[in-house]
Amino acid sequence: MPEELQKDPLTRGQFLYMGAVGTMMGLALTVPPAFFIMDPALKATIFNRSDIPHVWREIGSIFEVPSGEATAFRVTFPQKQTYDSGGPNSRVGSLTETALASWHDGKIPDLVKKRSEGATFSKSEVRTLEKNINVMSNACTHMGCPVRWDSVHHQIVCPCHGGIYTINGMHVGGPPPHGLWRYVFRIREDGIIEVRHKWVQGTPWIV
Amino acid sequence: MTRIRDRMAERGRDVADWLEERTRLVSFMEKQLYEPTPRRGMWLYTLGSATLFLITIQFLTGILLLFYYVPTTKDAWNSIYYIMHHVYFGQLIRGMHFWGANLLLIVIGLHMIRTFLSGSYKPPREMNWVVGVALIILVSLLAFTGYALRWDQEGFYAWEVGMKIASYTPLIGAWAVSLLLGGDTVGPATLSRLFVFHVWLMPAILAPLIGVHLILLRLHGEFGAAFEYSERLAKLNKRKQYERMEEYFASDEEEEESSRGE
Amino acid sequence: MAEIKRGQAKPAEEEEEEIITEDNVFEHYDEPQGFFPNQVMADLTVSFALLVITIILAYAVPADLVEPMDISTTDYVPRPEWFFFFLDQWLIYFPGAALVAFGDIAMPIIFAIVLFAIPWLDREPAYSPARRPYMVVLGFLVITAIVLNLFLSMVRILNFPGGSPAG
Repeated sequence: MPEELQKDPLTRGQFLYMGAVGTMMGLALTVPPAFFIMDPALKATIFNRSDIPHVWREIGSIFEVPSGEATAFRVTFPQKQTYDSGGPNSRVGSLTETALASWHDGKIPDLVKKRSEGATFSKSEVRTLEKNINVMSNACTHMGCPVRWDSVHHQIVCPCHGGIYTINGMHVGGPPPHGLWRYVFRIREDGIIEVRHKWVQGTPWIV
Repeated sequence: MTRIRDRMAERGRDVADWLEERTRLVSFMEKQLYEPTPRRGMWLYTLGSATLFLITIQFLTGILLLFYYVPTTKDAWNSIYYIMHHVYFGQLIRGMHFWGANLLLIVIGLHMIRTFLSGSYKPPREMNWVVGVALIILVSLLAFTGYALRWDQEGFYAWEVGMKIASYTPLIGAWAVSLLLGGDTVGPATLSRLFVFHVWLMPAILAPLIGVHLILLRLHGEFGAAFEYSERLAKLNKRKQYERMEEYFASDEEEEESSRGE
Repeated sequence: MAEIKRGQAKPAEEEEEEIITEDNVFEHYDEPQGFFPNQVMADLTVSFALLVITIILAYAVPADLVEPMDISTTDYVPRPEWFFFFLDQWLIYFPGAALVAFGDIAMPIIFAIVLFAIPWLDREPAYSPARRPYMVVLGFLVITAIVLNLFLSMVRILNFPGGSPAG
């Protein structure tokens, strides 16, 4: 039966029509959805748009950073993703992450030892302090697990796959590809550390 | 009494005929139910239907969970807590979805090992193996994404490690991870994307693939392990042996005849 | 419809012996049976058992729900589900960015491709596992690797109790 019906030849015009209409329908149904899905990825990778606006956030005072140890500070950034439409119900979300701060090699600089909270620093002193402090993300550079200070072995360890970092955040063991991500930070004259949602080595993703 | 029974039987036949004429349901069922299957090792072949059963349970309980689950970062955890503590049989429905997924992974693994050992992927059943591998990959991805939909520490960090692995992909790493994140940080878009993958996208691929798996199975029939055919194989070997012996004796006779002729 | 005759059945006529050749040997089983009812009963039994197990587990071991997601945690120890333990262990073997890309992206993709290609890799016409040793040994090695990694990661996780890396 189907063989009998296979008698009408496909004309050149019909073939071209099928091709043209098929291509147009295919494009209309694939290209907009692809861009629709990839919107955030394109904006993040090609236009370097971040969900976190350009803001500085305080994490704490340098007097709270003890000697010989890395301390965790929670910091909350405003986050614009999905809900910041600008309409009447628009709201800006927030993202809380943890910064680890430690003195270089765990040694408190003399100019901090001499003073107590409430003291002010001059611009050159601030520059010295910025050189002597590490402000790092607590997301392991390997798989992003939360790293923590190991007070027994005096190092920063990752609980997931055993990444080990020194107190300065340098990678010493385990699978991580490099040292901890370092926040772009500044120290105010009153000794408060401020960070931006930006890292010296690039984009860690996830945090 | 007998008259009532006869009448009922007649009515039943009428209904069956009516359905058969319009939908061919009866002959379809007949064909499906009386498909030849091996008598020996019957229990080995329950793994496939057990997988189908568990996936059906996953679809059912998954739809039920959606009556309460809210896919937003603020409320996802709360809605699951609500299901577990305040909804009638909430613990049962969520527990069945959770343990069903765990059992499904075990059963699907056993099903695959059984297929591998019995060599059931050999011609003409190659394409069914390919569809089966696609299904096992899809099911593990579903388990992975479903785990993260809870938006608790356990599920989130598992998904986070997965996304981080994607970020190591050469050339397209950054693009891939921001596609999964829905931005450059974890946020509401990340959970929305997870929800899409787990609830719509992957089941939508999974369901028709299961159909294809079953159609291909019925097309070529279940291939059991070689021991299902041991008697037939023994008969074949015996016959071949006889043939060889006959050949041997025949050639002997020929030799004898030829030597006698000399 | 044919009339149903009652009474003793005629002795079955002896069927002509089928000649079994290599082409038709796998055409049907030694003792074929209909899918219904025996196979259906077996399938039903297993499905019922699985349903009972899920219901019992749902109440005996309630599905986990730990603390809400918090990326700023300082003491949470992330652990995967048991079925990803072996993959988690796998991550440890490949340090550094290049090896992560090789071990955790390229190798699983290659493994998946090999898995898809098994029907074309195994050209041995025999079906019995005893008669295709290469494939069976290979499959056994893969399963051993998965189970071994599962145990290794379990040992590692058990030796790293929650939250205290010093221990």
